[in-house]
Amino acid sequence: MIKISHLRKEYPNATPLKDVNVEINRGDVISIIGPSGTGKSTLIRCINKLETPTSGEIWVDGNCITSKKCDINKVRQKMGMVFQSFNLFNHMNVIENIMAAPMDLLGKSKQQAYDDGMQLLRTVGLADKAFNYPDELSGGQKQRIAIARTLAMNPEIILFDEPTSALDPTMVGEVQAVIKELANKGLTMMIVTHEMRFAKEIANRVFYMDEGGIYEDGTPEQIFENPQKEKTARFIKRIKVFENLITSKDFDFIGFNTSLEEFGRRCGISQKAIYRMQSVFEELCVQIILPELSKDFALNVTAEYSQEDDSIAVQIKYSGKAFNPMDSDNILSLKLAQNAAQSIEYAPCNEEGFTNMLVVKIK
Amino acid sequence: MNINKTVNATELTVALEGRLDTATAPALEAELNQSLAGITKLVLDFSALEYLSSAGLRVLLSAQKAMNKQGEMIVKNVNETISEIFEVTGFCDVLTIE
Ligand SMILES: Nc1ncnc2c1ncn2[C@@H]1O[C@H](COP(=O)(O)OP(=O)(O)O)[C@@H](O)[C@H]1O
Ligand SMILES: [Mg+2]
Repeated sequence: MIKISHLRKEYPNATPLKDVNVEINRGDVISIIGPSGTGKSTLIRCINKLETPTSGEIWVDGNCITSKKCDINKVRQKMGMVFQSFNLFNHMNVIENIMAAPMDLLGKSKQQAYDDGMQLLRTVGLADKAFNYPDELSGGQKQRIAIARTLAMNPEIILFDEPTSALDPTMVGEVQAVIKELANKGLTMMIVTHEMRFAKEIANRVFYMDEGGIYEDGTPEQIFENPQKEKTARFIKRIKVFENLITSKDFDFIGFNTSLEEFGRRCGISQKAIYRMQSVFEELCVQIILPELSKDFALNVTAEYSQEDDSIAVQIKYSGKAFNPMDSDNILSLKLAQNAAQSIEYAPCNEEGFTNMLVVKIK
Repeated sequence: MNINKTVNATELTVALEGRLDTATAPALEAELNQSLAGITKLVLDFSALEYLSSAGLRVLLSAQKAMNKQGEMIVKNVNETISEIFEVTGFCDVLTIE
């Protein structure tokens, strides 16, 4: 359905795509993952001709869209695009937003566009918001409307560029659920995402992008469980493991919590589990262990997500005299840590630089 | 964390938004220290509070002690996560939660 050969895109200061060659089949649902700046957005934007490739060819259904003769509007009608920011028209209500393009570009009658639009709103669960304005909706609802608006053009292919990145954590799920429904209906989709559980569950194919192209192309099982190439393996490991070393009592507490939260979101664990991880860190490390440590110390926190049993194990290693936090007289912090944990185990540690170790399973 | 205060004669309502933790508890403590004079009813609105740690609980406890001397303190709109924290720490017996 889409065939890309020798695609290259140069910018004055970067060449995100050096030589991309790939074929996408009808019904493929492809998750695109990779470090930032590796050309994921550029690839999507070249396919949609929001960017003009420097060289190479892209064929969509037998039409070479990179040739000058190609009628790009026709091609774009087949191809929907959903961005991180929702790009709704704020001066139009929801149903008007959805009706506009089918009336202007497909020549649908007002009644037909309205009826079809209402049907689409029902499929994204928002029929009761038809006459609200975008400002009156939550981020998650706006993104579902943006998806409905894209669907109104009957696209054969939908390209998503980080559709949930701008959303509050509580709203990610509702948007992902709508996208999953579309995948089940057999639409061809390409989805750039940082949410790895979602990437794994929704796709039949995953592109890991790096080094100027699609560095590894495989099934979700291959990419996430058994990556074949070195950089993919390193990237996947980094996603599943959080690590942070603290050596000063004035460390960046807020930054630490933010990166724990980002780790949790990448792994797709619930907000509740993220709070529990943060609670274990704050009560055990900040409230109980740190006050016991003298000036020169090291405290290392790692968290690892296991997809098999959907659990998180946190390991806390620290220097100083032997000290089991369970013996602390800070009962309040202990209660909170125990509430967040399934188990807390203490053991001496004889790795270099560390003398104590805690292993905590998060509830 | 955002702290939104509304004063109505001797009733003070403090609505908290976000996280009440080691980083933000001192701001709440300072705010309450400044504002409790002459107040007979302190209402803490937790409808937008997402996360609460021991550091925050300690501030709540000293506010409760202060208000015991001069009136009453009520905590309202507590979500499920925060409610669980009040349960396991026994704070539900110390605070008046509506
Ligand atoms: N319009 C542009 N002008 C100049 N450089 C750009 C432009 N768009 C992207 N780039 C550069 O191309 C590289 C890849 O960007 P992008 O495709 O957005 O990466 P990703 O989506 O994987 O994070 C980056 O180095 C970025 O700075
Ligand atoms: Mg991007």
